[in-house]
Amino acid sequence: MRILLAEDDPLLGDGLRAGLRQQGFHVDWVRDGEAAERELRAEPYAAAVLDLGLPRKDGLEVLAALRRDAIAIPVLVLTARDAVPDRIRGLDLGADDYVVKPVDLDELAARLRALVRRAHGQPQESLSAMDVILDPAARSVRQAGERVTLSAREFDLLHALMLNAGRVLSREQLEQRLYSWGQEVDSNAVEVHIHHLRRKLGAALIQTVRGVGYVLAGDRRKP
Amino acid sequence: MKAPRSLQGRLLVLVLGLVAGVWLAAAAMTWFDVRHELDELLDSHLAQAAALLVAQQARDFEDEGYHVDAPTLHRYAPKVAFQVFHEGRLAMRSANAPDLPMVAFGEKFREGFKFVQIDGLAWRVFATHGGERDVQVYVGEQVSSRSAILWAALRGMLWPMLVALPLLALAIWWAVYEGVTPLRRLGRTLAQRRPQALDPVVVERAPSEMVPMIEALNGLFARTGALMESERRFTADAAHELRTPIAAIRAQAQVAMAESDAADRRHALEATLKGCDRAIHLVEQLLTLSRLEAGAAPAPAPVELGELVRRVVAELAPQAIRKGQTIEVVAPEPCRVSGDATLVAVLVRNLVDNAIRYSAPDARVSVAVVASGERARLRVEDSGPGMAGPDMARLGERFFRVLGSGEGGSGLGWSIVKRIAAAHLAEVRVARSAELGGLAIEVDWPALD
Repeated sequence: MRILLAEDDPLLGDGLRAGLRQQGFHVDWVRDGEAAERELRAEPYAAAVLDLGLPRKDGLEVLAALRRDAIAIPVLVLTARDAVPDRIRGLDLGADDYVVKPVDLDELAARLRALVRRAHGQPQESLSAMDVILDPAARSVRQAGERVTLSAREFDLLHALMLNAGRVLSREQLEQRLYSWGQEVDSNAVEVHIHHLRRKLGAALIQTVRGVGYVLAGDRRKP
Repeated sequence: MKAPRSLQGRLLVLVLGLVAGVWLAAAAMTWFDVRHELDELLDSHLAQAAALLVAQQARDFEDEGYHVDAPTLHRYAPKVAFQVFHEGRLAMRSANAPDLPMVAFGEKFREGFKFVQIDGLAWRVFATHGGERDVQVYVGEQVSSRSAILWAALRGMLWPMLVALPLLALAIWWAVYEGVTPLRRLGRTLAQRRPQALDPVVVERAPSEMVPMIEALNGLFARTGALMESERRFTADAAHELRTPIAAIRAQAQVAMAESDAADRRHALEATLKGCDRAIHLVEQLLTLSRLEAGAAPAPAPVELGELVRRVVAELAPQAIRKGQTIEVVAPEPCRVSGDATLVAVLVRNLVDNAIRYSAPDARVSVAVVASGERARLRVEDSGPGMAGPDMARLGERFFRVLGSGEGGSGLGWSIVKRIAAAHLAEVRVARSAELGGLAIEVDWPALD
């Protein structure tokens, strides 16, 4: 999952980026409000972690501007402002979650996963398609009860397709969801990962829509 | 006597005491006045009676060895007596008069009034003699009868007082009780307030004497409220400012724990330490500021500014050199100011630290101490990004930071600089550095010599 981190404090930003990467997120880090707004408008982030006291443009202003333009990326506000009126204002302005510093990295990751899940209308923690069950928290995949070993990229690709079950995703869209800034993307990387996934989980799970992209076979089902 | 502690009792004792005092003084004055008038009147009666007796000397005193006892005509008569002597012999007397002259004379007879004791009783006697000097007349009156009149007059004054004082006491008690009602009401209002309440006290229809007290009280409440509010804000701000460094420490520590790659773990651990240093720095700044806000007065002593600046810059220079900056001190002549060396060092350290922190690598920082006449001037200049006008105006607000500087400062340094400068009667000016292009901060002190 690719997320945007907007935090102006160098040490905290560095720590959060490293911590979220350990949890399997692809993190892009911006240090001011204007950059945060620009990136959130341009890229299909799964979620954003937004500090409120950002330079150039306050986090709440960024949030309000995005929501005004119906950009629905889930936003977790991370802030030192812990007063109840601040929380209420943040949530009213369109924050999906409000976390006061300092925060536990595991909790932050869990909240982000929950935000992404809910944003895709998925009430359960695990995602499933046909006989495949994907657990985002444990980063594990099981097929017919048997554990299947996937590489990080393969997992992320399957995760993206399962979150968007029923939608066709183009190669570019998948790349945008898989790679953070500065990561080298091979021209046929997505095809290679799809090939590996089909080999490990069966050819029927992921279908190719020629000239358009890829889609998960079958409806979303409860595991 | 110990003064009564209740206002009511105090007023009662004072008013009753004064009334009784005035009354007694009036009685005393009446006593002396009546006695004087009475003496005058009765003495004149004695003299008159004597004159009548002298006028009777035309009568013959031929029957020698025989005297006339005048009859007692009224029951009051025994209180007065008279004697008439002719040629040394008793010629006539009242029935209650003794045989011997009421006033014993030596060789010389003296006319006039005299107090004498006769049979253990005090008499006032008027003695006179006739024109031929062979007749002596004594008219006397018992002193006790005069005193009786005086006492009667005094009783007339004092009896009403004995009756009136208790009544007056009751009346005063009631009047004072009514009079201090606003005080009691204020007392009740204050007693019923919540201990934390700091809103103004309102006493309806407060008497004018109480208005200054209530105003003073409300002024105190307002000042206490403002102090507590600033205290509360400071604590809240401080807690907020500590959240970010602590969040950074926590995140980095957690990353280090979970990291398997040695280089990444080392990086996270170093960042954790850096976060700790920053939090400690912030706490120190907060403590300095709170001590300054608590009004810790500087202990003034002569401070050699140039020397102090060299020492502080020596401490901070490694930081500048690590950033690739050039830092220099220009303090050509000795320059002394009066102040607390520790606080002045904190001020200089904050200014120089800010210049280093907010200037780019390869920037120049210049610290100068200049004595000009009666002023000593410390100037810290840098070739950093400078500051926009509105930001300059906001410098010194607690926790105000110029956003986007990319530095994790606390925004407290400036508050500290301003406070220390104010405590030393120094002025702080912020401007654009003409020489280096960045920020120029001047602190202007009254010089010692």
